[in-house]
Amino acid sequence: MNAQLLQPAFVDPVLDAQRGFRAALKALAEPGLIQHLPSAPRLDGLAPATYALCLALLDVDTPLWLAPSFDTPLIRANLAFHCGCPLTARREEAAFALLGGPDLLDLGGFDHGNDRYPDQSCTLLVQLTDLEAGRGLSWRGPGIKDQRQVNLPVPQVFWLERQRREAFPRGLDVLFAAGHHLIGLPRSTRIAEERA
Amino acid sequence: MNPSKRQHWIGVLARARLSELQPHEAALRDVDYQLIRAPEIGMTLVRGRMGGNGAAFNVGEMSVTRCVVRLADGRTGYSYLAGRDKVHAELAALADAHLQGAQPSIWLSDLILSLANAQAERRAQKEADTAATKVEFFTLVRGEN
Repeated sequence: MNAQLLQPAFVDPVLDAQRGFRAALKALAEPGLIQHLPSAPRLDGLAPATYALCLALLDVDTPLWLAPSFDTPLIRANLAFHCGCPLTARREEAAFALLGGPDLLDLGGFDHGNDRYPDQSCTLLVQLTDLEAGRGLSWRGPGIKDQRQVNLPVPQVFWLERQRREAFPRGLDVLFAAGHHLIGLPRSTRIAEERA
Repeated sequence: MNPSKRQHWIGVLARARLSELQPHEAALRDVDYQLIRAPEIGMTLVRGRMGGNGAAFNVGEMSVTRCVVRLADGRTGYSYLAGRDKVHAELAALADAHLQGAQPSIWLSDLILSLANAQAERRAQKEADTAATKVEFFTLVRGEN
């Protein structure tokens, strides 16, 4: 590991990690509602919210799969140092995966959990440039009173890929992050086209 | 195993007393540096082997403090030490960073040598105290026959 690449992470490791964890919990409890993470550190290539999620969620027990666009020496060194998480090249081994917008076209290979242990599925951390610049879709399901309109700028193929892999209780949970904000998309949320 | 020079000085710094490091505090802190990992206290599991080569077993947990600093010129200093002394951890990490510089000999002669001597003295004292309590057991007559 190259010590020159290391950078400071959370200013207050305990409380900032708890804030990140809390934001992730809220994001998955209220799908589609934007959560704010003001005190996140910066790292080249990772948005503050993405990095804060990594620092809060990853540790030695969570193998991480990195999309090629995030697989830089800087990100590798800092994640290895601050999180201590093993990096894996095999999607099926990963407990977490870090993806960009273009990587959403193919979700093959990730662990969906099994009927007895659906919690063992892989959680996707997806970094986008914006959370509100896409086509409006209406989300329904647990955590949403009636329906909620969400404008995530993700390719249409992603929704098909996600639907194909839904076999409740198995499935994939996704956390979308951009800048200091994040949105959760648990497996239980149902997506419908917004009616014009 | 022959420890490298750096292993040696990191060990000396970890075993040093805070009161021995404090006279050097001003010199150690007299640089631009940032805390990559601010001093933090944690627990580690100590494992041992009976007689040094038996099966491994867990002795117990101990508290450990660690710290990583980086000087403005990119040198990165690490420290791990037993106990809960954050100031000691930061000074030890700074000393490790300084020792990796272009002129480690000054720091080696100023700091490490005196610390190592003090530690050797303490250890010899303790060994002498312990040796005085040694008891030799002899078997004069065995019970059989």
